[in-house]
Amino acid sequence: MVKFGIEFVPKEAYWKTVYYAIQAEKRGFDNLWITDHYNNRNVYVTLATTAMYTKKIVFGPGVTNPFLVNPIMTCQSLASLDELAPGRVALGMGAGDKTTLASTGIEAKKQLSAVVDAITIFKKMLEGKSVTYEGNVFKVEGTKFNFKPRGQIPVYIGAQGPKMLAVAGKIGDGVLINASHPKDIDYAVSQIKKGVSEAGKSMSDVDVTAYTSFSIHEKPEKALKAASPVVAFIVAGSPNVILERHGIEMEKANKIRSALGKGDFGGAFGSVTPKMMEAFCIAGTPDMCNEKISRLLKAGITQFVVGSPVGPNVRKSIDLISEEVIPQFK
Amino acid sequence: MSYKKIVEMIPVEKREKLSDKLLNYLLKAKKENKMPSSLAKCFLSQWQTGGFGDVIGLAVLLEATVTVEPEKTIEFVETEMQLAEVAKALKEAA
Repeated sequence: MVKFGIEFVPKEAYWKTVYYAIQAEKRGFDNLWITDHYNNRNVYVTLATTAMYTKKIVFGPGVTNPFLVNPIMTCQSLASLDELAPGRVALGMGAGDKTTLASTGIEAKKQLSAVVDAITIFKKMLEGKSVTYEGNVFKVEGTKFNFKPRGQIPVYIGAQGPKMLAVAGKIGDGVLINASHPKDIDYAVSQIKKGVSEAGKSMSDVDVTAYTSFSIHEKPEKALKAASPVVAFIVAGSPNVILERHGIEMEKANKIRSALGKGDFGGAFGSVTPKMMEAFCIAGTPDMCNEKISRLLKAGITQFVVGSPVGPNVRKSIDLISEEVIPQFK
Repeated sequence: MSYKKIVEMIPVEKREKLSDKLLNYLLKAKKENKMPSSLAKCFLSQWQTGGFGDVIGLAVLLEATVTVEPEKTIEFVETEMQLAEVAKALKEAA
């Protein structure tokens, strides 16, 4: 049965994010993902507080990266969270956004190797033994916690490119695919299968997760309006190969990139086309959203994540999803 | 007057509408740092264990909203909800 997850960006006071986390649990979501960016509230403070006010929802950073937070510290944080909320913790690990990392003075080199190293160290450290490992990016020597972690924690890898998707299939328990369109999921699943096959695993061993941009409202125009700023940023940050996959003209994408670069948000958001909305978000009435979710399920996902903006009114949108969407698939 | 007493002045049939509006004000409030930590914890505990539909829950929500968004809350109670006495009590409590 498909799982439903939800993503929150902890840009507001902790009590607002945790309010929504409690609401998500009450309304039937299975997973909660909190983004990890240095310029928002700290992900682990948010998750620890969430742990105190929830009982069953599974949660984790979605996603952290090994460049800004050393994998040993990520492991320490997750193992500590697993004591607060036993069996309810998951790790989401990605390569990080190069531009954001550059603003902190970090050069994200060898991203694929860095993620592989980080996850290898993470899994070994969780065993509670002394770890010595030399990877291409990270190495540890005789590293050991002074406490015994409770056990293994599921690892989800944030992936979009072919190599990272294959690695995710090979070493991950799940894959967080930043995509909202069946074309992207089809492509991702084909790459994940390569890694799964290489590892001698089965696809049922991997939680294939669509990490979507989502917006729901009874009035479609309101849902679309809420989603267009997010889509503008997705278009600006997407590799050209993905824009081409969806038939989006470079000229129009570059117009958005240029406007965002100048801080002209109105110009950027106003330049988002219907084709871009179709490619990069799921937005509309419950029926419209359900139809698109069905297509992603057919493409092979096993978890659907409701990502930003969720809707024009987050609280009411969560209720709407609970009433009109989740029951259609569970 | 305590917030519990103030809530008891509100007709039962108007409480759901009030609760819905207060949550909107609170979750969209810009001056979120006005929320004291102790009240934030009380607000989250109430949401986790009971919600804001009963007298105790609505009292917690009302206190939180009056603390963070006093003008909007009192104006709504006075003009939209037509509860002048409740608005007066809230002004004194704020």
